[in-house]
Amino acid sequence: MSTGSVPDAEPRPRVAIVTGAASGIGAAVAAELTSRGWRVAGFDLRPSEWDASTVVDVADAPAVQDAVAGVVRELGPVDAVVSAAGHYAMADFGDITPAEWNAMLRVHLGGLVNLVRAVLPQMTEQGHGSIVAVTSELAIGGGDRDAHYAAAKGAIIGLVRSLAAEVADTGVRVNAVAPGPTDTPLIGADSPWRDPDYLATIPLRRLVAPEEVARTVTYLVEEATFMTGEILSPNAGAVI
Amino acid sequence: MTAAQRPLAGRVALVTGAGQGIGRAIAERLAHDGATVAVNDIEHDARVDSVVAATGGVAAPADVSDREAVFAQVDDLARTVGPVDVLVLNHAYMTMGALVDHDLDDWWRVVDTNLGGAFHLIQAVLPGMLRARFGRIVIVSSEWGVTGWPQATAYAASKAGLISLTKTLGRELAPQGVIVNAVAPGVIDSPQLEVDARAAGVTREHIVAEYAQGIPMRRVGRPDEIAATVALLADPRVAAFVGQVLQVNGGSTRSRA
Repeated sequence: MSTGSVPDAEPRPRVAIVTGAASGIGAAVAAELTSRGWRVAGFDLRPSEWDASTVVDVADAPAVQDAVAGVVRELGPVDAVVSAAGHYAMADFGDITPAEWNAMLRVHLGGLVNLVRAVLPQMTEQGHGSIVAVTSELAIGGGDRDAHYAAAKGAIIGLVRSLAAEVADTGVRVNAVAPGPTDTPLIGADSPWRDPDYLATIPLRRLVAPEEVARTVTYLVEEATFMTGEILSPNAGAVI
Repeated sequence: MTAAQRPLAGRVALVTGAGQGIGRAIAERLAHDGATVAVNDIEHDARVDSVVAATGGVAAPADVSDREAVFAQVDDLARTVGPVDVLVLNHAYMTMGALVDHDLDDWWRVVDTNLGGAFHLIQAVLPGMLRARFGRIVIVSSEWGVTGWPQATAYAASKAGLISLTKTLGRELAPQGVIVNAVAPGVIDSPQLEVDARAAGVTREHIVAEYAQGIPMRRVGRPDEIAATVALLADPRVAAFVGQVLQVNGGSTRSRA
């Protein structure tokens, strides 16, 4: 792809923003992109170790706008964003408080919306860009005691498919990854997702590795040039 | 090139329908990723020789609907280059017509080639994969297997059948290390477009432009874009996709397959 009009110019390194980059899937994605020559800006509530690190709450729209502007100043125009920031909790539906409900929606759906609103004008203007949202197999198959998490992750799928259709002719692609239970700090040592009795029920018989999700994200941003509005499911066969 | 860039080093990949189009692109990509590629098509012709030369692989001609020929070819490969580690089912036969007018023998030839050929090939390679407790099977289905298409009942039925086969074998074989997934391409710039153009009574250029209009990305896809997806599903480092259908179609479906 051509990114400039200067003949024989060195191609600049590609720039990605990864949210939730301090741990888990976000950190694995940032590591894989870094190893492939990308310059990675990590957004997280905690400092991260990538080319640029911004401590920011993805649910805070003005803060995300400022953080994205800082990345463009520091690293250059953004070629890809990966929205991986999130948290997980299980609760009976009747016990979900309005504050917990709002936190799920504002962080998962809002974190994606805020990031996209900040980068999309630049991406459509440059005529290329890849947006990847991390959703969940629970958005597809649901799960008991997962209503608020599944609602937030499901909303991401609707947004991804709609935005993909809306910007398809601008060169910007929008896709999602819906992992199954993944071996990250998001699920604690005593989580039911780590229970051998549960793992025996899924075809792969094990948790998804964060590196498998990272390889999938790398495929989406680098090679899936004819794919948009698609939800990829490295979920160990949890939902087929 | 580092090991990470040649994830299929030391592996044997059999690609059916690899004499041209998407199959050729898949063969070239898997060779680039390090595999020894067995290049299958229905005849051992100059196109196959050309792909063998481009990939440094071996010719593995057979009519996939001929069960005995398929088993003989897989046995030959085991003796010459080793058992098949990666099977990519890309072969396809397609004719179109209204259901009541479609010649019945030809209707079944579509199904018996596309779906029946997959059955024979998977049965032929599976004992070796199970012995090794490793295998990657990538089935090339079609957008029309997800959405259906007028006058393509046989083709769509065969391709939808491949999706159900993928899901079922994904569940059945993953516990034993054999990972089965599918790719469902949309409209790709390949020789198959000639069939569509003939059926519609228009030129190839005309039908490409017409298809592009109906695709959100406003273009048709390239064979190498399908090959990249196959490479993801063939990657030994990734087993987390199980029984999934990856749709590569420029945004046409945006649905769960």
